[in-house]
Amino acid sequence: MTQQWEASVANEENPNEKSRAIRARQRAIGRELRRMYDDVAQEPVPEDFLELLQKIDHPSEGKQS
Amino acid sequence: MPGSAPLPRSERPENPDFKSDLLALVPFLRAFARSLTGNPDAADDLAQDTLVKAWQSRQTFIPGTNLKAWLFTILRNQFYSDRRRAWRQVPWDQEAAERIPGGREDPVHSAELSDTVRALRHLSDEQREALILVGAGGFSYEEAAAICKCAIGTVKSRVARARKALIDILDGGDTLGDSARPAEGDAAREIMAQLDRLSPAEPPKKRD
Repeated sequence: MTQQWEASVANEENPNEKSRAIRARQRAIGRELRRMYDDVAQEPVPEDFLELLQKIDHPSEGKQS
Repeated sequence: MPGSAPLPRSERPENPDFKSDLLALVPFLRAFARSLTGNPDAADDLAQDTLVKAWQSRQTFIPGTNLKAWLFTILRNQFYSDRRRAWRQVPWDQEAAERIPGGREDPVHSAELSDTVRALRHLSDEQREALILVGAGGFSYEEAAAICKCAIGTVKSRVARARKALIDILDGGDTLGDSARPAEGDAAREIMAQLDRLSPAEPPKKRD
């Protein structure tokens, strides 16, 4: 997951203090973004999505018997 | 619509698993939609519209390519086309955004999260989507570029700028001063330069 994010953060090899702090912040932001995204992604799929997919190939005008 | 005039592409046999493949990706569509709209209801509408579009266009999906990226492309197109039709426009719902993730009880966790989520709304759409795709969705720069229909370098610089902007916003509190000229401009340039040196290891795959 998000290897490129980690790689791009890790790749910043500037040894000075300020950029080390920035890297730490960037990692923290990356974690928070993933948490936000994963929290939604881990919710159970709401019922209306299941219903939608169930009837999606039965368009209302062409009633199937 | 009769559905009796197949396009040339539809010589491909129908994939019997397509529907369950879609279902498996619904959680990610919802997550991406939520981060684009910032509004749970608008996000679910968007995700559902995406499923319908995807189903209608299923013959254009090339088996063996990345279905998730294909769906995200549809979702993103739908998001911007809804945007253009102003009647469908839903403002970023700050209160709802702060409720992401619903039902989580840990106050530290929520406070931390809501800061970043709140900061997200200050980003441009382009920066936000690039940041979400790469930073949260786990897409490569190359995949994100295909989804956003832009160059890989553009995605890289949007991600870098978005990260930088988020840090500035989080440090600066709620007000994003118009002269939010960072003192560490050199560091930002350094980050961007480093990002630009990161080139994809594999040659671009043909997608269409």
